[in-house]
Amino acid sequence: MAEKIFPRNLTARAATVIVGNPVTTRLESGVGNCFPGLEWDHRNLDRRFFPGLVFDFGPVPAVLNGVEPNDPALEPDPEDDETIQRRVPALSRAVSDRFAVLSRTGGQWALVEIAQGGRSIDVSRGVFLDDPNRIWRVVRSLERDQVMITLEWRRATRAGRSRARQTVRLTHYRRRYVNPDTGTISPVYKPGELTQSLCSPWQHDFRDCACNYWASNHPDIALGEDLPGKAELPSGASEDPETATQPLDWLRADRRSRVAASGLDFENDDRRLRHYQINSEWQSLAFVLGGKEISAVYAPRDERVAAPFATPEDLAQQLADLCGLEHVVVLEYLYAYFSLREPTEGRMNRELTDALLFARHELLTVAISEMRHLRWANQILWSVEKLAPKVPKRGPVLDLATEVPGRDGRLHPRQLRPLLPEVLDDFIAIEKPSGRLDGAYSRVVSTLSSGHPEVLLQLARQIVADGMEHYSRFREIKVVLAPHVAAGSSRPPVYLRPIELATRREAKAALDLYHGILRDLAAAYARGDMEDAANIVNARDKMTRLEAEASSLARRNLGVPFF
Amino acid sequence: MTLNSGDAGFHLLPGDPPLVFVLQGSRLYQIDRDLHDALARSDADRTAQFVTDIDATVPRRRQPGELEAPTALSLNVAQACNMGCEYCYADKGQFGGRARVMSSEVAFAGIDQLIANAPSDTVTVGFIGGEPFLNRELIHTSVAYAERRAARADVKVRFSVTTNGTLLTGRDLDLLRAHAFAVTVSMDGGPATHDRYRPSRDGQGTFAPILAALAPLLAEPAGARIAARATIARDDLDVAGRVHALTSLGFHEVGVSPIRTGPNAALVFQEDDWGPFLNEMIGAAESEWRQVSAGARPQFANLWSAVKQIHRGSARPLPCGSAVSYVSLSAEGTFHTCHRTIDDSRFALGTVGDGLDTVARHAFVRARLVDAQEPCASCWARYLCGGGCHAEVIASGRTGCDFIRGWLEHCIRTYDEVSRQRPELLS
Repeated sequence: MAEKIFPRNLTARAATVIVGNPVTTRLESGVGNCFPGLEWDHRNLDRRFFPGLVFDFGPVPAVLNGVEPNDPALEPDPEDDETIQRRVPALSRAVSDRFAVLSRTGGQWALVEIAQGGRSIDVSRGVFLDDPNRIWRVVRSLERDQVMITLEWRRATRAGRSRARQTVRLTHYRRRYVNPDTGTISPVYKPGELTQSLCSPWQHDFRDCACNYWASNHPDIALGEDLPGKAELPSGASEDPETATQPLDWLRADRRSRVAASGLDFENDDRRLRHYQINSEWQSLAFVLGGKEISAVYAPRDERVAAPFATPEDLAQQLADLCGLEHVVVLEYLYAYFSLREPTEGRMNRELTDALLFARHELLTVAISEMRHLRWANQILWSVEKLAPKVPKRGPVLDLATEVPGRDGRLHPRQLRPLLPEVLDDFIAIEKPSGRLDGAYSRVVSTLSSGHPEVLLQLARQIVADGMEHYSRFREIKVVLAPHVAAGSSRPPVYLRPIELATRREAKAALDLYHGILRDLAAAYARGDMEDAANIVNARDKMTRLEAEASSLARRNLGVPFF
Repeated sequence: MTLNSGDAGFHLLPGDPPLVFVLQGSRLYQIDRDLHDALARSDADRTAQFVTDIDATVPRRRQPGELEAPTALSLNVAQACNMGCEYCYADKGQFGGRARVMSSEVAFAGIDQLIANAPSDTVTVGFIGGEPFLNRELIHTSVAYAERRAARADVKVRFSVTTNGTLLTGRDLDLLRAHAFAVTVSMDGGPATHDRYRPSRDGQGTFAPILAALAPLLAEPAGARIAARATIARDDLDVAGRVHALTSLGFHEVGVSPIRTGPNAALVFQEDDWGPFLNEMIGAAESEWRQVSAGARPQFANLWSAVKQIHRGSARPLPCGSAVSYVSLSAEGTFHTCHRTIDDSRFALGTVGDGLDTVARHAFVRARLVDAQEPCASCWARYLCGGGCHAEVIASGRTGCDFIRGWLEHCIRTYDEVSRQRPELLS
């Protein structure tokens, strides 16, 4: 919300979407895992998979850890098979007498085989020896049906080897863990049994977590907080590029330091909170919201929802205006692109070569992306016109806007300029999120959100998303070119050609190609979704030739006078 | 008078701070002055943005859902009265007929049906008249019967009574205490005011005898909750004085109600009365809030019921539970939409012998939905007001709507202050 609107009564408060932690941070959204289990360890449930018996899945093979003669699951269940029901008394006796007595004599009952549905798995050898969790996974996969288990009585010999003394086979239904009517977990589980072995956040476990999985209350890395007085971008990112992009080690002991996060566990170990510290100083760890640390009271950012256009006419007019704007920025970016020196030119140090390689590539990428936007804006326009036949037809629009938004938020006359630092700043301003261009598309997105084909909405959203990327690319170009701008000097930066506008006669070939491209595109777009591929192919061919022609002019320090 | 902005999805309340009431969900927001001014001058872009931001579009008309069985039943145990109030809507208790009392068969059958069909675990049995204590024994036996039946059905039963208070005995007071009755006593103010409007049949004042009968209960209410309900006639619109007089007597709460219909036209509100009455109500509410903000207990029921309704964001399609959660049973065993409509065939809902007439209930409710009323459908306050008392509207049309809107605006503003200064009162 852009306006200051405060909910006052209960229904208003309930209807207000709070900007902050997502629902995935809630306990009920917890993800189960077994190492050793942060929110939930399934093994605590499965240890009682066989009625009357309690297993330990730690050793290989799994061993009988206890018996439960009063297990309600030993009661005959009228829904169970009659044969099983007849066996239940014997099973109960086995549980209460045999296992209990033998367990006191110094040996162990090992779970060596599990059989269900005609398949039997020996869980005492092979791959199971490597990982006790494999045994547990077999148990986990059992269905609520009859299961036969084989237990072996083993006692360690003097030589340290175990020897089987007795074998017992038991058959019963796998436990019904949850009452199907009430959803409650079987009462055989003791209080605390299901949560035993879980990690203890805010204690040593929090520091030494070895599974590298934590719920969202343990961010391993986080972007640093904006320092006082430092600005924030509309997206919430820091304006300082380093703060915006350099993740810090969230567990660093000195909160004021900016220890960079490391991909290696041990690298930052010395700089993190020690065990004794984390017990007493965990409060010093910063809250992280939106990937960024905050130490003060969190003030939610506005989530702007743009107002949709009232009529199809308004939408069509806005799209037509946007086409003109997209077109003119393509030309401004291209002119600036050809103003950059080519890295292959002589007398250039390595840093400048690299900077130019990067800047030229990025600038051309953005220009091409804007060409794509010109097409998408036209596509949305022709689709909207098709949906609302009464709206006066405007497209295809390949005209040029006469003005573009500037740094001050106002419109300025369009200009073809070399990529001077202030020109780059203007380009950044054009693409700035929540700037004029972005704002206009937000209203388009909002309008297309209902009553229009999904593809149009996706196109508009993609344009908005690309704008964010253009903004980042331009800012990166600025960082890369900055070392090559002589501070306080009135001379143009060394990365620029001394380029000037060519006369129409000098640039005739290039301009002919440019106008040819526009004719081809107009012919293609005029047919809407039935566009003629031949026109597009022709336009592309002319684009390639225009690029060669413009480069050739540029080497003579001449820029194409597109307008 | 305020602009009625019900054909939009929201209503602006200027003042400090500016507030906006959104019809969908009866939501209340505080906005800044700049936005308020933009909305007030219908700035198209900002209004559209605002409507999108908080979903303040015009609510769709609602359709009635399935009706559950009522949770409350009032028994007109005595359609007769020992008093002769000139403004009585019930023709001095007789509802236009001869004096009658309810039999235990009818009362018990009504109670049986209420409990047997109870859609929740609590039901309410009310006793009403006329003056219900003219049929004292039936009240006592019905309470015992209802308790017995409710215990068997594992349902909790609560009791209420509306009485003129003149006939209460010590045994009655014990019953009211023991069963935690919600007691509403019809009293119009201090001795002079009360006696003027509420004489006995032989013209004597009733203030003194009522107070004598009621004093032990006010002094020792135990579980009972005792409210006074004052009726306001057009020839004396004073509200604050009445509220003060009645709270001074020890009533837990005091509500007032203007006369919209009645046999004596000289006492029934006319169109010109609503403006001055609004001023009286606001004066009483301001006086009440001054005391409560300083720590006193809330007592002016009209104000607090509205404030709590606004707090909850109550958005109701009907003005009351009449025919929905509540029905009334006449002395002769006919169900009616409420105690105001006893013996009026337009509001009849079947007999205790045949059971509640579901078809008639549905038809009545569907016809009475506020969205189907005029001029309610374009009123911003329609889901707070609900369209006004069915009985009164059908009898004499919809009057005093500006009063209702003005009163609700004042209550919304008071709610804003209560929620800041004494939020615990809203919990």
